Amino acid sequence: MTQTASAEVVIVGTGVVGVVVAEQLLDAGISVVMLEAGPRVTRAEIVENFRNLPLGIKGSASSSYPPKPWAPHPMPRTGNPDEDYLQLDGPDAYAQTYIRYAGGSTWHWAGTCWRLTPDDMRLNSRYGVGRDWAFDYETLDPYYNLAEYKLGICGPADPALQWPPRPRSKPYPMPHLPFSPGEEKFTRVVKDALGYTNLPVAQARNSGTPYDERPACCGNNNCVPVCPIGAKYDAATSLKRLEEKGATILSNAVVHRIETGEGNRIEAVHYYDPERQSHRVTGKHFVIACNAIETPKLLLMSADSRNPNGLANSSDQVGRNMMDHPQMGLTLTLDEPYWLGQGPVVNSGIMETSQGDFRAEHAGAYFRMNNFARNRYETFNALKTGKVGRALDEEIRRRTACTVNVVAAHEILPDPNNRLTLSSRKDWLGLPKPHVYYDVGDYTRRSADVYSMPIARRIAEAMGAIDVKEPTQFAQSKHLMGSTIMGNDPANSVVDTDCRAYDHDNLFLPGGGAMASTACGNSTITMVALAFKAAEALVSQAKGA
Amino acid sequence: MQNSNKTPGVSRRQLLIGGASLLGSFTFAGPTLAWAKDFEDTPLHQRFMRLSQLLVNHRLNEGVGLRIAAFAAQKHADLSGMIGQIVEIAEQRDATEVEQFFDAIPEGELRDLAYWVIAAWYSGASSAAADAEPFTYEHALTYQTTLDIVPIPSFGLSGPNGWSRPPAPLMPVPRF
Repeated sequence: MTQTASAEVVIVGTGVVGVVVAEQLLDAGISVVMLEAGPRVTRAEIVENFRNLPLGIKGSASSSYPPKPWAPHPMPRTGNPDEDYLQLDGPDAYAQTYIRYAGGSTWHWAGTCWRLTPDDMRLNSRYGVGRDWAFDYETLDPYYNLAEYKLGICGPADPALQWPPRPRSKPYPMPHLPFSPGEEKFTRVVKDALGYTNLPVAQARNSGTPYDERPACCGNNNCVPVCPIGAKYDAATSLKRLEEKGATILSNAVVHRIETGEGNRIEAVHYYDPERQSHRVTGKHFVIACNAIETPKLLLMSADSRNPNGLANSSDQVGRNMMDHPQMGLTLTLDEPYWLGQGPVVNSGIMETSQGDFRAEHAGAYFRMNNFARNRYETFNALKTGKVGRALDEEIRRRTACTVNVVAAHEILPDPNNRLTLSSRKDWLGLPKPHVYYDVGDYTRRSADVYSMPIARRIAEAMGAIDVKEPTQFAQSKHLMGSTIMGNDPANSVVDTDCRAYDHDNLFLPGGGAMASTACGNSTITMVALAFKAAEALVSQAKGA
Repeated sequence: MQNSNKTPGVSRRQLLIGGASLLGSFTFAGPTLAWAKDFEDTPLHQRFMRLSQLLVNHRLNEGVGLRIAAFAAQKHADLSGMIGQIVEIAEQRDATEVEQFFDAIPEGELRDLAYWVIAAWYSGASSAAADAEPFTYEHALTYQTTLDIVPIPSFGLSGPNGWSRPPAPLMPVPRF
């Protein structure tokens, strides 16, 4: 074991949460070392990986990011538990996608940034279900503003098109991106037939102008799995700037243990390099920001005599309350072209269906028409018809123009039984793979039965669908939440309102794991808001204020 | 509005295009087809391009054809003979387009090869399987059928915020 590095603050994870915390610390004059399990790569490498994938797998978010042996991450499932990284159990598969690369999973996110609403944060007191947040929306609002300016989130200036539907305390830094003709048509159809407003998505993508030394979006329609020009924010775009501000970033450094000391304070983290050599990194304060699977895994792996059930786990809530946005995606064949694929891959959505008194009975849902170019999905379907020549050309063109994917993304309640534990199966380094038991629960299933799917069918009918393919089970959204849950009571919560672990006063666990409710919109902006709040507290603590 | 949750019957052609049969007969361990270079401008390569030009009514890229042909040659010991048979069928009808002779290709190995060659040009890959061999991305003909309106993902078509132009008509298919 060697002593490799030391800093006032040690951050494990170089995803969006880690880099946002790091930059706040650096700007406050606090030294930072960051550790990343996976490799650090260039954008060009990932773009080439994507372009060299066979057509049948171009829709896979992770296949452009082959994992290193020492830093495995979920890949398209094989069904063989010895090959698959995530060990899944329960009625629903928590089959998530994330990557262990420097920059984290914002490499392949869509950039969608829906804020929570005030009601999303008080489900229990308002509807008698789930958990309330430990603070209210007004507390979070200034951190949302910081997140929007840090990531460069574009959004509508018209209050009637903003989410949540309440006065903003600060405008978006950029105007929203325009709709494609197909999105314009969808917007008209759902308004005219159903009265719904299809909102422009607030998204971390440069709209009509450079921002943060990144170029304007040019409609490459490849946000997932990688923006080829960096117009979409991803955390990898920040790494060089962090280093210029003084950060030390160690990649291919797999943290496998967090060490406690006197007073149950954290004293060091230990990481393996690719040669399986262990190193020790010391600091005064520690941030674990590896996502809501890898963070609880590391906490559980770090069990010691002071913390026999794992670090930060006196409440027994580490790894519990695993959440996501269970989704149902319908593939529609329409009698008119919508021509998806122009502009970003997600550019609008119906959010009003996520709110209402019905939440006492079942989950809300957010509806969107995905905007991925359809060739990758429809070419093989067209070829299977046996057509050749002009008939084949027309079949591909018709299918590409006239098929769409409409998705209903649901909220889910925190359930302690939805739990991550350490599998007996080991990875390349001999570390336990994560095992997750998952059941989306009756609250969400009931929504699909009586609410969301009936709405989706009405949307399909309004769009003139001549064929509808419905899924038979929920898919996952890659929005990891809940596993280090926040609350005011240390008896049933892992972290306090600043994402500080109740059990270790120099350990911070910001990110999706802290979220006490999911609502229906994508989680990253809330994770980043929590990162800003945690960083503020950490700066104050580090400076002894 | 029709709801089609039922799994349709799976035909031999669907299996071929979808990858199951091709995984059996065309699975290929080589990741790059680097050896295809040795195949360039050989008589078989030229005959493969002649076959492709009969099966696909569009301008075809010789480099992509080289990779497809080299892959097929690894899987069919008698590729040259099979090409000859299909070309002869076309020539017997004085065909210049696939519609003029495709129905005369007998079901079985020859028809399967013809379908596979067409699928390879349109998809740019050896099958729909996750481990298929990629032959090309931007030259896959599927993208050409919609290139007047839909970008090839990662290449783009427009400038900043430049995608609000009028929609293209569903037909005709652009010439390519």
